[in-house]
Amino acid sequence: MSKSLKNVVPVPHIYIRENVLHKGNIAGVAGDKTAWAKDLNLPRQAEHTFFAGCGYQFMRYVEGMMRAAASIEKVGLGREKGLGISRAFGKIGIDLPSISAKVAAAGREDTYTRILGGAVSILLKLDFDVGYLYEDEPCCGSPLYYSGFLDDYIENANKNFSIFKSHGIRKLIGLIPACTASLRDYYPKYVEGYDLEVYHFIEVVAQRLKETDIKPKLKENVTVAYHDPCQLSRYLEITSAPREVLERIEGLELREPEPEQCKQWSTCCGGGGLEAGAPELCERLGLRRLEELLNTGAHVIATHCPACVMQLKRSAEKLKADVKVMDLVELLDEALP
Amino acid sequence: MQEEILGFIQTCINCRMCVPMCPTYEGWATQSAFGRLAAINLHLKYGLGTEEELSRLLFQCATCRRCQERCKMLSTNVTPTDIIIKTRQLLARKALARERKGS
Repeated sequence: MSKSLKNVVPVPHIYIRENVLHKGNIAGVAGDKTAWAKDLNLPRQAEHTFFAGCGYQFMRYVEGMMRAAASIEKVGLGREKGLGISRAFGKIGIDLPSISAKVAAAGREDTYTRILGGAVSILLKLDFDVGYLYEDEPCCGSPLYYSGFLDDYIENANKNFSIFKSHGIRKLIGLIPACTASLRDYYPKYVEGYDLEVYHFIEVVAQRLKETDIKPKLKENVTVAYHDPCQLSRYLEITSAPREVLERIEGLELREPEPEQCKQWSTCCGGGGLEAGAPELCERLGLRRLEELLNTGAHVIATHCPACVMQLKRSAEKLKADVKVMDLVELLDEALP
Repeated sequence: MQEEILGFIQTCINCRMCVPMCPTYEGWATQSAFGRLAAINLHLKYGLGTEEELSRLLFQCATCRRCQERCKMLSTNVTPTDIIIKTRQLLARKALARERKGS
């Protein structure tokens, strides 16, 4: 890695680029990413194709990696060197991220991949004809775009479009807001003849719920504050669909933060984009946003983005707040008959 | 790319409404879209500051588009977040080109 590139792009972003380009996912983990979908036996070709994305599949690795990096930082090595070590281990065949994730996840279930299973089960419960590409699903490459590697992003986008075409895909349902925004709004700019219809999961679910008379019901009453992820509320401009879904659930009371802190004005929690480049700033943003959400007095914070889930969970741990951070998918899956 | 970025910055009317919108704002103008855009303009046009310093400012942006929403509301049609991302891409492209040349 030359010094010149290091000067203008934070080192973690450069590692993420290498991971996306060479390993096909953000965390750089080799191995089976589709373990969560094995028992589902989804068809590869169907009317809608589910796009799982990297976020939920690899969040436990990223979480483990960040924890490892933070602990190395405490010893006095610095986060950059910590990530460098994990990369050096990768070169000689030791998969440090997955080991650290296993250590971090020991004794507790992987909550992130459970969300993916929940999302597919919601789609099946609502009678969607849904397929999944399993190991053929590519990484959409959106981190490349935000880190500044536009040429790599365009190359990756064109490659992905031919993969989608070769599988005869026409309609995609994305779960992760960032991936969906990338597939829906950026790909048409850079890929010639791009004609896929891309929807976000919550859009189609809200639409289908409106058409049917299914009444989702929770076993016990909860008060929920909804946190709008930036990518969902401002990039994809979806703010009413998640609220419609939440309000439909019986036994759920939705509480909103101040009007200038929700919907299209929702404050950023700092997860995702800042994590790698400015960790301290990222932490402060998370705590500030969590306090805004705690002021609503809700016992559960629901959001709909893997980065936000991770960031708010970590902030809640740090503040020792008596609040449960969940993905909207988990609530809906539990409530749907 | 550089011309495009500078052209977009010219449409900003410097109303500073984006400053309190920025979640990273902690007292410095450069912790907001207004300051970041000014820094980009000064660097690209007049060579103020190094690329390294500019990149540090740009990577402190969470790319959450809250400032852009404000611009949309004021119908000035400035897209600060997109300009910040574009400038990151410009800096990376320059560095990659230098790298290719060097090796």
